[in-house]
Amino acid sequence: MGLVQREIEAAGFSTISLSMMPELTNSVGVPRNAAIEHPFGLTLGLPGDAARQLAVLRATLRALEEISQPGSVVHLPFEWDASEKVNIYPPEAPPIARFLRRHPWHIPKFLNQTPPEVSEPRVP
Amino acid sequence: MKGCIIGLMAKIVNSYRFLDGITSRMMKHWVTLGAPRQIPWSPLAKPISQCTVSIVSSAAVALKTDQPFDQEIERRDPWSSDPSYRVLPRATVTADVRVYHMHINTSFAQQDLNCVMPLERLCQLEALGDIAHSAPSHYSYGGYTIRPDALLRDSVPGIIDQLRREQVDAVVLVPV
Repeated sequence: MGLVQREIEAAGFSTISLSMMPELTNSVGVPRNAAIEHPFGLTLGLPGDAARQLAVLRATLRALEEISQPGSVVHLPFEWDASEKVNIYPPEAPPIARFLRRHPWHIPKFLNQTPPEVSEPRVP
Repeated sequence: MKGCIIGLMAKIVNSYRFLDGITSRMMKHWVTLGAPRQIPWSPLAKPISQCTVSIVSSAAVALKTDQPFDQEIERRDPWSSDPSYRVLPRATVTADVRVYHMHINTSFAQQDLNCVMPLERLCQLEALGDIAHSAPSHYSYGGYTIRPDALLRDSVPGIIDQLRREQVDAVVLVPV
């Protein structure tokens, strides 16, 4: 997502990420980042929690307006209720996870983001 | 000084709170791979209350009436994924879409799209005057990309063209 953000910002738009992994997002050099401590798949909050979703989006836009230094992160103050247990995993393990279980010698390639070279898929 | 007052600490988001040990270690390693580079910067030209805002979601959200994201690309070659994107009109609601991301539990977003792509909330902020307009169009692609080249080369320019045509000022990117 950070790489996409960089392209859009470079094209002249003011951008901000709403990131649950601020360390990772920042590592690629994004211009603005609003960090939130929410589980994957619930970036804005739980289903039906319109008040939280609205507050998070509003705080993100405020951060967009207030950040004046490239590469800044605003840590949003929202707390995730620890009693709210959620399953963040997909029902079926992602293909790469299943592949690496069967081919563990490829794990370094995955960790270093150096996938085997093959022809890339193109947008039809 | 004795008895100094301990003020409220500002929150620092823990990137790893919800991850298992293996995933945490993987993410921490990925953080170290980012090379220092110049950060692009386009300052906001006017107050956000006067801006047209668009949302980009990496949840692989598509209208039910649109072409689905091709999950078979990733099943055939787990190092790859569908690099295309979809356009979602501003009035899109949960019942209009399917969510195709294969690395998250999509059931939350299927119950309420605003969990990952807050289009209804953005319209609310427009009505409240926090922003001038929710843009006519918003965008989604599948955010799990070990090979991001095709996404950046073939999809992002199309998103940027449409942002320009619709005179968007600010973009909120929402990972999942």
